[in-house]
Amino acid sequence: MRTTLLIARDELRLMIRNKVALIAVVLMTLLTLTAVASAWSHQQHAADLRARHQSEAEQAFDAQPDRHPHRVVHYGHFIYRPLSPLAAFDPGVDAFTGSSLFLEGHRQNTANFGDVRQSSMLVRFGQLTPAFILQTVAPLLLIFLGYGVLSRETERGTLRLLLLQGARRSQVVGGKLIALGAVTLLAGLPAMIGFALIAGKPGASALPMMITALGYGAYLALWAIIIVFVSACVRRSRTALIGLIGFWAVTVILLPRVAPDIANAVVPLESRLQTDIAIGRDLRRAGDSHDANDPHFAAFRQSVLDRYGVDRIEDLPVNYKGLQAIEGERLTSELFDQYARRAHAAQLRQNRIVQTAGLFSPAIALRSMSMAAAGTDLAAHQRFLDQAEAYRFDLVQRLNRLQAESVSYANDTASDAGADRRKRIAADHWRQMPQFLYRPASASDLARAALPGLLVLVAWLSLAGLLLTAALRRLGGR
Amino acid sequence: MTETAPIRIEDLVVDYGADAVLTGLSLCVPAGSITALLGGNGAGKSTTLATLLGFVRARSGTVRVDGIDPGADPDGARRRIAYLPENVALYEHLSASENAEYLLALSGETPAREALCEAFRAAGLQEAAWSQRLAGFSKGMRQKVAIAVALLRRTPVLLLDEPTSGLDPRATADFNALVSAVRDRGAAILMVTHDLLSAANVADRICFLDAGRIVEDLEAEGPDRFDIRALHRRFAVTERAAAA
Repeated sequence: MRTTLLIARDELRLMIRNKVALIAVVLMTLLTLTAVASAWSHQQHAADLRARHQSEAEQAFDAQPDRHPHRVVHYGHFIYRPLSPLAAFDPGVDAFTGSSLFLEGHRQNTANFGDVRQSSMLVRFGQLTPAFILQTVAPLLLIFLGYGVLSRETERGTLRLLLLQGARRSQVVGGKLIALGAVTLLAGLPAMIGFALIAGKPGASALPMMITALGYGAYLALWAIIIVFVSACVRRSRTALIGLIGFWAVTVILLPRVAPDIANAVVPLESRLQTDIAIGRDLRRAGDSHDANDPHFAAFRQSVLDRYGVDRIEDLPVNYKGLQAIEGERLTSELFDQYARRAHAAQLRQNRIVQTAGLFSPAIALRSMSMAAAGTDLAAHQRFLDQAEAYRFDLVQRLNRLQAESVSYANDTASDAGADRRKRIAADHWRQMPQFLYRPASASDLARAALPGLLVLVAWLSLAGLLLTAALRRLGGR
Repeated sequence: MTETAPIRIEDLVVDYGADAVLTGLSLCVPAGSITALLGGNGAGKSTTLATLLGFVRARSGTVRVDGIDPGADPDGARRRIAYLPENVALYEHLSASENAEYLLALSGETPAREALCEAFRAAGLQEAAWSQRLAGFSKGMRQKVAIAVALLRRTPVLLLDEPTSGLDPRATADFNALVSAVRDRGAAILMVTHDLLSAANVADRICFLDAGRIVEDLEAEGPDRFDIRALHRRFAVTERAAAA
């Protein structure tokens, strides 16, 4: 161990005396601090904005005057998804999918049927977040600092010198790994401190945080091993640098961008226009509540009359128009749900293709893991959509029931001068409507979702370790 | 004597695939002696050193470094060898002292500061250079640092690969004096060289290597030590054979 530590100490001494290495570490630290500060500020701003808008939206909804319940259905309501504590560290698909929804009757808005090609691709290269720094910039810095750890020794003949002093190959490689590991720790430390500051907020859970820290630790350790492995395999430092940059470009830049394109080609998503046309067509088939001769609604009307034992809708104890609205909403929601489920299933298939690409790119595996643990992945977005839709449906049906029970059919169909006033119900009803409360995934759910990505990283780590062990045998023998 | 010699090679056969490099080399370098190994390019000089250092495995034959088989225990053999390659590889980012301290520490030795200074003095390295980084050192100065390390390691075996190549006559003479001093301390020294005069000056024995085996083995005798003209003739034959 003493020999290993001596070799590690000398490598670190070289890095310290090499001004380029020092400058790179300082730059990395500054970049990370900027990213942490920027992410922190963005998180605060976004959380405040969403909370304020949510409050304003609720106040506006509650402040509606006495009016017909169906007007409230169309007045709609904005809801906002609160940010998870780890969203500042890794905003995931949040920026693409959006975090607000306008809820109204007869429609499911925004991302459900939006043009989600971009959002489902999970492409988010370029955001200066601590996660981006660790995923993309840190490996590059490590490459520049470590590409020559062994190839330089081979090139200059000092590798044999080390072996001739009695150092074993494993000790040489171990020393280099420890040195690069120390630099990795140093490079990753500011981001991890930022991570702890960001994630250590109330509401953060220890398990996803631990998985995230483990995942990033494994990812950076993997890069350290890959760098030492490549450096051990080649005779020239320049070759090691070119090889490592190439590997970085392919696995960190190219594959994460190409994989979603492949996924999109294999599982194409329908555009918003296509979906709207298809839904319109299906709606017409399902039944038109405004058409007296529509077969579905004719049958529905008859079933209502039978249930109440009357012959005319005017004789019903409830407002038939309200019941009709309830049935209409049930039908349209069922149809929208079908399309939403289909779109979500396609997005999941796309995601699975992208995640499979993680077998070839540790960066993809890390991103999947990081977003899942942060609760900013597609599953988290879908969770929000599901809860929002359940809330929307409940809200609209409550309003439809109010129409059925609190507005008489006679008033509802009247068109005399005072009819409009008689159709209104008290504003208190709006204030009694439940508020939307987003229930985020539990810590164990987040951790479970992040586990596959972590396992892929561990597999990468094991493979890299095996390759390095194999490379050990050839080291210094050339 | 032969059995206890720090360097002992018997019927050594080494090949690189289909190319036979050493074809039955036998050589013995006793403690406190210098053997110069001469030969043309491709004669097998460097392979002999690489085999002693455990970097090349023998196909057959016996190789022992202070009793250790470098093929079976390369680390053990290397701990008993100080090796000076043609171009001494040292760390440019370290000073002469730091290089020596680092390399000795790797060998498990932590010499006192005074011992280090003494070794540098013995190696002829000027005091002003001790704390300077090696980036600006000449080949001769680097060799002196390496020799100082070898002196401090006190290994029973010293292997030299073209040590005087590129040195001026004065530096060559200094180096030879230094090697003689190491020999006088009891080390077995094997020197691979093209420098016939230097070998004649310092070696106790000169072996000519051709086609992977010793073809002539001469011992220093009398005040003139070697017949330089005979050496030249023999060397010319070896060179021609290598060229052919």
